[in-house]
Amino acid sequence: MVGSRRMTNWGLNALTYGILIIMLAPIFWLVASSLQTRGQLASGRYDLLHPTVKAFSEMWSTVDFSKYLTNSIVICGISSVLATAFAASAGYALARLPFRGQKSFSAGVVGTQLVPGSMFLLPVFLGFIWLKQNTPIHLFDTQLGMILIYTAFFTPVAIWFMRYFFLAIPPELEEAAMVDGCTRFGAFWRIVLPSAAPGLAATFVYAFLLAWDELLFVTALTANRAETIPVGIHNFIGNYSEEYAQLMAAGVVSTIPVMLAFFATQRWLVQGLTAGAVKG
Amino acid sequence: MTTQTPPIVHGEPGDAPATPPPPSARRSRRRGRNLAYWLIAPALVFMVLVHLIPTLGGLALSFKNINTFTFSRLFGAPWNGFHNYNAILFDDANPLHSGFVDAARNTLIYTAATVTGTLAGGLGIALLLARSFPGRRLVRTLMLAPYVVPSFVVATLWGFMWQSDSGIINKVLVDYLHLFHDRPTWLLGHNSLFAIIVPSIWRGIPLAMLIFLAGLETMPRELHEAAAIDGAGPWRRFRYITFPLLRPLIAVQLLFGVIYSAYQFTIPYVMLGSNPGSDADLIMTLIVRQSFSNNLIGFGAAASTLLMFVMLIWVAFWFRAFRRDLEMA
Repeated sequence: MVGSRRMTNWGLNALTYGILIIMLAPIFWLVASSLQTRGQLASGRYDLLHPTVKAFSEMWSTVDFSKYLTNSIVICGISSVLATAFAASAGYALARLPFRGQKSFSAGVVGTQLVPGSMFLLPVFLGFIWLKQNTPIHLFDTQLGMILIYTAFFTPVAIWFMRYFFLAIPPELEEAAMVDGCTRFGAFWRIVLPSAAPGLAATFVYAFLLAWDELLFVTALTANRAETIPVGIHNFIGNYSEEYAQLMAAGVVSTIPVMLAFFATQRWLVQGLTAGAVKG
Repeated sequence: MTTQTPPIVHGEPGDAPATPPPPSARRSRRRGRNLAYWLIAPALVFMVLVHLIPTLGGLALSFKNINTFTFSRLFGAPWNGFHNYNAILFDDANPLHSGFVDAARNTLIYTAATVTGTLAGGLGIALLLARSFPGRRLVRTLMLAPYVVPSFVVATLWGFMWQSDSGIINKVLVDYLHLFHDRPTWLLGHNSLFAIIVPSIWRGIPLAMLIFLAGLETMPRELHEAAAIDGAGPWRRFRYITFPLLRPLIAVQLLFGVIYSAYQFTIPYVMLGSNPGSDADLIMTLIVRQSFSNNLIGFGAAASTLLMFVMLIWVAFWFRAFRRDLEMA
């Protein structure tokens, strides 16, 4: 009896590690193949023990990768900061301050997620073109235009995140501050926001992750100057489809920043990601 | 602001000075409401400008006869009722109809397979990781990795792995395991839908696993212990205790998973290009191609509206089907 239980346990452990290896294999291959040469990948004669970083240096010159990287960092960085700021204030209102129309506002926040992107992409596109032709406001193919779009785009999800983090902070904190003569806003600004700092960081990272991965809008709303990494990779595939080592190198470079950001804020991110589902 | 006694807070016009406290209860409630409106204002402005107005614009476009990309035509274009919808759904001779039925079928298969696979995989792995075993914390963290690889990288990577001649998948399946005689083509024809489903599941599993793990951790142990004393085996314990308690989590993930998968664009577009063929074309890739390559804006707007309508039906159905679980959660 005891022996068979031990066997079962051992079997389940082996299964767990086996699944982990399968889940991580594609990521291992992403990194390993970026350290090979094009010829090795094409012929299938891999030499994993002698990696070369040639693909990484070639990639920067094959496409203007630094342009895409700069655009991605600027656009995603600024829009995530703005989305987090708007979400912090709106999320606090939802968590703590009952107001008329609160239900409608919450429904609207969720409702934004129900609309397919292609639905409002066309009018936004037409609007950008019209502004370009008739006013000095240039939003088409500019970083500013993409920042405006992404800020709006990821604010709803960020609101949900922040609302949860505010609900997790005991209301007694603000009440004590207000008894001491703080206004409601003062309590929010000086007491609540600093205690929600990890939540702010997690919300920022999550918005950044989503923005970093957005392709539909940036494909349609940029032409050349404001293109981000996903567009760059898509162009790369279109023009140099056989350069797999360089493509994988570009993939590694695109993944590292978000990986680092994710694992740096993992504890709170996981809370935010699971809270919505678990707490309803 | 470094002073300890705050002066009047900016951003509350029309309010009495904040000092001296305490104001009457009613006044502070009204002040709280005013503050709330100021706090939601920025988010609301952006959502109205980028979500609401353009969405209404897209709705309007779907009822117009417009197939060129000019803004002046946007207002000037003639209304033509449900003509676009009729053309898309029923008019075989109309260019708006071509490919729609295939794309609708593929989207249905893709969504069903991706959501089912993600939830089943996530639940299975969560059950394995809920046990205690050596290296548990590290394994849980490492399992999250696929979720952090951006979709466009996932599509690039799998597009390379699926390659018939130089791809690692065929190398393993054919050269090492000898499962196939000829090297299968994964990215063309009947296999191409499968080729976008697998990476979508792979990337989705970690999030589902996280949510199920969170649910398993809040599960009362006593129930399991009592059932074990009564002689229920592991399968029956799962069937009658664990699964019913996880139902609300399954429900929430179904709701958002279906919407997210039905609106998926990045993975098919990067892996199979803008024209993946009738076997793997999804509604979103078709909409983008018709709108931007073929200038059929009427199609883009009407098909998007149809897609949204189907999702609203799905949400309504979901509320009916899972009402009990919502009350439980």
